[in-house]
Amino acid sequence: MGKPIIDITNLTKFYGKARGIEQINLEVGEGEIFGFIGPNGAGKSTTIRILLNMIFPGGGSARILGMDVIQQTKQIKRLVGYIPSDANTYDTMGVHEFLTYCIRFNGIEGGERKIAELSEWFGLDTNRKISDLSTGNKKKVSIVQSLLHSPKLLIVDEPTTGLDPLMKARFFELLHAENQRGMTVFYSSHILSEVQLLCKRIAIIREGKIITVEDIENLRRKQLKKVNIEFEKTETNRSFPIRGITGDVSRLEDTSAFMFSGNMNELTGLLATRKVINLTIEEPSLEEVFMHYYH
Amino acid sequence: MNRNLFSKELKNYRISFILWLAAITLLISGTLSVYRTFFDNQSKVMGMLNLIPKGALQFKGISNISDLLSVLGFYAANNVIYMMVLGSIFSIVLSSNILLKEEYNKTAEYLLTRPLTRSGIFFSKLAVIVVYVFMLNLVTAWVGYFVMELVKNGPVNFNSFLVLSLYTFLLNLLFGALGLFLSTLVKRPKSITTFCIGLVLVFYFIYTFSKITERYSGIGYISPFRFVNLDVISEDYALNPWNLLYFAGLSLVLTGLSYRVYNRKDIYL
Repeated sequence: MGKPIIDITNLTKFYGKARGIEQINLEVGEGEIFGFIGPNGAGKSTTIRILLNMIFPGGGSARILGMDVIQQTKQIKRLVGYIPSDANTYDTMGVHEFLTYCIRFNGIEGGERKIAELSEWFGLDTNRKISDLSTGNKKKVSIVQSLLHSPKLLIVDEPTTGLDPLMKARFFELLHAENQRGMTVFYSSHILSEVQLLCKRIAIIREGKIITVEDIENLRRKQLKKVNIEFEKTETNRSFPIRGITGDVSRLEDTSAFMFSGNMNELTGLLATRKVINLTIEEPSLEEVFMHYYH
Repeated sequence: MNRNLFSKELKNYRISFILWLAAITLLISGTLSVYRTFFDNQSKVMGMLNLIPKGALQFKGISNISDLLSVLGFYAANNVIYMMVLGSIFSIVLSSNILLKEEYNKTAEYLLTRPLTRSGIFFSKLAVIVVYVFMLNLVTAWVGYFVMELVKNGPVNFNSFLVLSLYTFLLNLLFGALGLFLSTLVKRPKSITTFCIGLVLVFYFIYTFSKITERYSGIGYISPFRFVNLDVISEDYALNPWNLLYFAGLSLVLTGLSYRVYNRKDIYL
């Protein structure tokens, strides 16, 4: 991990008595594409909104590029791009008018060229009114506005909602290209296949708390295995008195399947005493790992 | 203040401003245009007006029915409704929406991620309110004065006219500050427009009620309308420093509080 571009310490937010996030600690290194995953209501958006100074934390602190997200929000936002989950923009404006409006805040020269380049990349017609656009095209506008000022950090919150597969691929290609040029990406999503494709490291958040921060490959390899056992029909003892089975054992006819993070020798030792036809031990998909953490 | 945001907001509310301006100037000039007929038929009209209880006329600022014979007195009596009530509604609707609209349209996600401080956003939007309220007052006052010059039957006291116009402007600004303040307090913004319009009308009702009911005249002091002196024909008519302090002070306090709350407010989307 490079030097931290996002540095969150004991960040806490309650909405009245309702929990938003609690004692979150997180570091995202410069140049990373970092996944932030969790189901709805886990605290992803709360974290992002604190980073962007839309809401204020109840405790703890957060820094971006070494600057405090409350005190130095203006300086931070010169260097940060953001793609919100909703594609709502100023419906009364035209696409070009909106993009020009956005880039003027940064006072960057060559804004027109950047608008043209990015719009062309996504096949976006800048002459149309935003209110006339489909959700997918509004999302493209949202993506384009986030990249106009070539941010050092891009924060995205469910960015692919409404995009067709072709546009998703173009978006990922662009993210990779920008990442190669040094842009860090903080990618919040619950679509694990996207996170798996893009990110090297992820944080899983559940009920306002970070459960784990892991290298994505390590996470998949880390002990947790997907085990499938097919028994002979005559085998009556199909119980597993062994530690390390997480979640339920699913049974379908003669096959039992479960997630296992225990001692593999114990498992094979146990199975040696049973009539087994077939045994498969697989790497679980990220989806399955994720569900494991949420069980 | 941010010029980019200021320009965009100015453009955003341009149509609404033009419509309000057109409606109010039409009403003012339309009403003033009947002044000459009113003056020419004064004996009949005065006879009719004498039948109306004095208190019922007082809320229009008419202390003496003969004041209506002066074009400025006539203007002041009508100005109450058009500029004070409608101008205040324009002002409070504009100010109560200008910050909140970003929240309920979810565009705050774009605005708050620009290199701006909350202060920058607040003052840019505040400037739009002040500019539009000032322009509304300036144009309507100019139109009013122009029509008065056309229909007058005697000199118009320009100083009194200026003082009356200043009162109207201060009243509108106060409602603007009130709308801004209320908008920083609510979390569910959709009903604020209705509430704010209702608030202006309730204050106006309290004011008229206090004027026509001597027993309850004290209640009028809770309404900002009570601090506008409409007795424009009075020889010593001038801007009362206490009233000026009331309008300016209350507007500044409400604006200051709005600024403070907005700077620490969680923007829920």
